[in-house]
Amino acid sequence: MGTSKVVPISDAIANFVSDGAFVSVGGMNLHNNPMALVRETIRQGKRIGTLLTSPCGAMNADLLLGAGLVEEIITSYVGFEHLGLAPNFRRLAEQGGIRIFECDEPYITHGLYAGAGGLPFIPLPRGLEFSDIPKVNSRSYTFVENPFNGERVLAGAPLMPEVAFLHAQISDASGNAVLLGAQFLDRLMALASKHVVLQVERIVPTSEISTHPMGTTIPAFLVDAVVEAPGGCHPTSSHAFYSYDEEHLREYLDKARDERGVEEYISQYVRQTPEDLYKQSMAERVAALSFQESSSEKR
Amino acid sequence: MTSVSHIGEYSAAELMVTVLASQLHDGEVAIMGTASAIPQAACRLAQLTHAPDFSYIAGGTCSVNPYQQPLVPSACDYRLLRAETAVPLSDVVLMEGRGDVFDIFFAGGIQIDAYGNCNLVAVGSWEHPHPRGPGSVGLPFLSRVGRVLIYTMSHNPRTFVEKVDFLSGPGFLDGPDSWKQAKLMGGGPAMVVTPLCTMTFDHDTLRMKVATLHPGVELEQVQRATGFQLEVEEPVPTTQPPTNQQLEIVRAMDPDGLLR
Repeated sequence: MGTSKVVPISDAIANFVSDGAFVSVGGMNLHNNPMALVRETIRQGKRIGTLLTSPCGAMNADLLLGAGLVEEIITSYVGFEHLGLAPNFRRLAEQGGIRIFECDEPYITHGLYAGAGGLPFIPLPRGLEFSDIPKVNSRSYTFVENPFNGERVLAGAPLMPEVAFLHAQISDASGNAVLLGAQFLDRLMALASKHVVLQVERIVPTSEISTHPMGTTIPAFLVDAVVEAPGGCHPTSSHAFYSYDEEHLREYLDKARDERGVEEYISQYVRQTPEDLYKQSMAERVAALSFQESSSEKR
Repeated sequence: MTSVSHIGEYSAAELMVTVLASQLHDGEVAIMGTASAIPQAACRLAQLTHAPDFSYIAGGTCSVNPYQQPLVPSACDYRLLRAETAVPLSDVVLMEGRGDVFDIFFAGGIQIDAYGNCNLVAVGSWEHPHPRGPGSVGLPFLSRVGRVLIYTMSHNPRTFVEKVDFLSGPGFLDGPDSWKQAKLMGGGPAMVVTPLCTMTFDHDTLRMKVATLHPGVELEQVQRATGFQLEVEEPVPTTQPPTNQQLEIVRAMDPDGLLR
């Protein structure tokens, strides 16, 4: 049911990302990064006032940082796991070129709960105050008095992004979306963000989604735009569809070691390559990375 | 379990897997973070040998008791969902906060200090780091877990420092006084495993202490590779090497040789 929200990727970014917006990017580590939306944001030169990652950002954050579009970042990790540190995040942090709101996973999770539920702030479990994180980030963390016993407790500010870029494996045209693998914090991001721009591997009829209503991760009424982007997580993985492209990621990590290299990468793979062309040029690689699972697993 | 391998027939990472497995017991539940192939192999090995009722949750995918068919390098991999079951990440964060669900947290860092504090953020000052690390993720929750098992492939003076430049995950803080005062829910760090040795923490000083030396490793070599004075009680015993049965199990789950 419902009106189709399927739009070309250029419209999704042009219409739902204001200049200087507070953007959250879904996915975690090398998986489910909404890379098609990230690349299109760079093509359109949209400035991001604040970027929020899941507990672990990777290419989704590092490429935007490398494009010079991000003013400040709220994160508890930007890296490429066993492949190494995030080159742009590292360089900008070391040169003082980015304002970092240093966080931990519990705060990002509970902060999104607070944003999703309209909680003015959220008290955090005792013990977290022993890390140095709250000492360097007074915008996200402060201390409050527990009204029930007078104890001093660490508290976090609510996280309410203006727009979330999320990847789901399948959705219907109106945006009822199913994450066929791990959810990471993507569902919470959808609940906490004012707008959701969704990229999906495949658009399916609502009748197919509604065979497992409890399996629907994001209901359509939270979704503003749906972009069909098969292979759209490349070079990261899309759970249940394809693995990450280690060779391409290594090429990126190698190039992004200096500013000239990252500009070369972005020029070649992003600015001079519309998303349709990127998809075409990578289709064979993505097919080769496909999980050899039964088709029933992908529904 | 009777036949014992000889030195050189296994890698350092494989030895670390069997050592960590020996620390895991029936009925316990463990959690771990990014790039955690070593503890994941240890958990699966423990389940398949002495601890069938041990449980573990793999990284951000949050699969419960993944079968490790095969062992994968990324802790958020889809293939980890070949598992008994899975829970949402936000539920794992809730249970970490509850503090009495998880017995073991596998941790590491770009710096690890004499009291077992871990740093994943910055070497040097936070404002001007070099290098800047990836970030702390869930490490501050070390304060609320039964015990912490620290592992690293980097045993050198840059990693093992007297005091971390940035505290991501608390160990015994600044030592006995601060630890006592903090009254944390968790039990603190229990063991450190590296390619050279295993270390525990001295009962009184709460400082890192050499527990066993891996076969072929000398005590001076370990001290040279460590940026602070280690506690030592000589003679230091040799680490129990993997058995052939353990190696067979580990290699069967590791066809890509992540641990070789």
